[in-house]
Amino acid sequence: MVTPPGPVSEPVLRIRDLRVRFRTPGRRVTAVSGIDLDVGQGEILGVVGETGCGKTVTGLSVLGLLPDTAEVEAAELRLLGRDLTSLTDDQWRGLRGTDVAMVFQNPTGSFNPVFTIGAQMRDVLAAHDGLKGRAAAARIHEVLTACAMPDPDRVIGSYPHQLSGGMLQRAMLALALLSRPKLLVADEPTTALDVTIAAQILELILGLQREMGFSVLFITHDLGVVRRVCSRVAVLYAGRVVETAGTADLFRAPQHPYTRGLIAAVPRTHRAAGALATIRGSVPPDPGAIVGCAFRERCELAIERCATERPELRSLVGGQRVACHVATDEAGATVAER
Amino acid sequence: MAATYNQLPSVISERPGFARRAARAIAHDWLALFGLVIIAVVVVAALIGPLLAPSPGDGAGVINVDERMLPPSLAYPFGTDWLGRDMLTRVILGARIALQVSLIVVGLAILIGVPLGAIAGYRRGWLDGLIMRITDLFLAFPPLLLAMAIVAALGPGLQNATLALVVSWWPWYARLARGLAVSLREWPFVDASRAMGIRESSIILRHIVPNSLGPIVVQATIDIGTVILAAGGLAFIGLGARPPAPDWGLMVAEGRQYILEQWWLSTFPGLAIFFTVLAFNLVGDLLLRLLDPRQED
Repeated sequence: MVTPPGPVSEPVLRIRDLRVRFRTPGRRVTAVSGIDLDVGQGEILGVVGETGCGKTVTGLSVLGLLPDTAEVEAAELRLLGRDLTSLTDDQWRGLRGTDVAMVFQNPTGSFNPVFTIGAQMRDVLAAHDGLKGRAAAARIHEVLTACAMPDPDRVIGSYPHQLSGGMLQRAMLALALLSRPKLLVADEPTTALDVTIAAQILELILGLQREMGFSVLFITHDLGVVRRVCSRVAVLYAGRVVETAGTADLFRAPQHPYTRGLIAAVPRTHRAAGALATIRGSVPPDPGAIVGCAFRERCELAIERCATERPELRSLVGGQRVACHVATDEAGATVAER
Repeated sequence: MAATYNQLPSVISERPGFARRAARAIAHDWLALFGLVIIAVVVVAALIGPLLAPSPGDGAGVINVDERMLPPSLAYPFGTDWLGRDMLTRVILGARIALQVSLIVVGLAILIGVPLGAIAGYRRGWLDGLIMRITDLFLAFPPLLLAMAIVAALGPGLQNATLALVVSWWPWYARLARGLAVSLREWPFVDASRAMGIRESSIILRHIVPNSLGPIVVQATIDIGTVILAAGGLAFIGLGARPPAPDWGLMVAEGRQYILEQWWLSTFPGLAIFFTVLAFNLVGDLLLRLLDPRQED
């Protein structure tokens, strides 16, 4: 993979200082505490991090799908240049499916069990494009075929329980692409599938993206998947971006100690058998309450400054950005070089 | 282009349809079969009762003094009453009233209760609170007592009794539908349709309500029997159908003053109520098993 183009001119999605808190009885829990992201035209941006780091919440906030208990604030949240921070319910609805669509983790649960796949796809077309009858049938057939669905005609007349997980995820992808969205939010779309089917779905997303030119916000915890499909990566930890880089750069020279830990923890087949590398400790429960760097408790390189001052994202040579006092001290000298 | 990905085998599984699974279940369950046969008999009696009954005129207040109070015999299998009317005829004609009342009550209760419950359960928040507190208000009284109070206020009669039963029955469906909606709204397909920009009303109508229908249908089947009993109860205490209507509950009530000598006056309508209620309960159990995927075979 060549060095990816950074976000060009006007990004499809632009997020600045996104903060999401959930009201729970008695207290507020911070899920996202100041995230900056850009998804460029035709770019596949990977968002990685472990469970609870805020990646799904970030994805849902782009579609305005967070529950009522969520408080969302952002300095800037723009999709195709349009401000999303003050949309009404109806405006959100008009946007979903047409400008931005989402593919979920669990393909078997993502279809209504009592209607056929075709009926559910027709509902979406009727809601957005006003397509009905033959025109709708033709479009559905076209999208299913583009998604390499075997036997599309029978799939249209089938109920969700008659299809395998891999076929359902293809159908889900087809459903999401029906109205030609500009941005696809894919929330761990391959997690529930077995390895070979997952690989096919990834190839499919890559191929469709090249063909149709939409952008993708690819949420995952699997670095192998990131390496395969993403052009750029944002690593999330405790509700903040700790590092962003082109995929090749990230794997060649990870800067943040957390990213390095993540990459070291990927099991490799050619490595000698033994205990897998892990990152000690676990994600802090409420990142909103943390002073300093949220990772310092688990970090082997932590210095005094990490306990008092929160590291901001800073650019290194080559466009890589990292939020770490240790990695960026002395004018951009990196950990890897020392 | 597409060919490169096309390595996925087409595996569309065939599952026996509802009709085949139903046939198999009935073949193994003679109780359910028994229930279905009785329901079929009641439905036929309700539809073409006047054609089947030996003396259709006896449904009304005909007086036949020569043949009053005859015990069951070949000519009058269920005997005759104090006006000489054939009891078999009156029991057959009673089927229409019983089914009419119970279908109207259960049908209207579903039409009112299910949408309200589905909206409450899907929307949650203040609307949920409002709808469910109103529901609680109705549920605070035992259903039959509430129905009695309403009929007493409106005046006795079959129509008012039906109305009263609807009023005391819908909250149960609202509550059931709300519970189902609360769990269904957490399903990924609801999120998925929201993510596709489907409007809220469509989500409730196309996703929440259809997926709630299984338990609701089962509840309805069982309730048909209960409503027949309740309507009979109202008639028994003089708040339901008025004489000379051939209402089962009313016939039991009218016969009770003769119960020691002319036992057949109350017994046969009573048995008709008993078997109809039993049959609907048996079929309700069958549906429960057929519609609940966890109870597969």
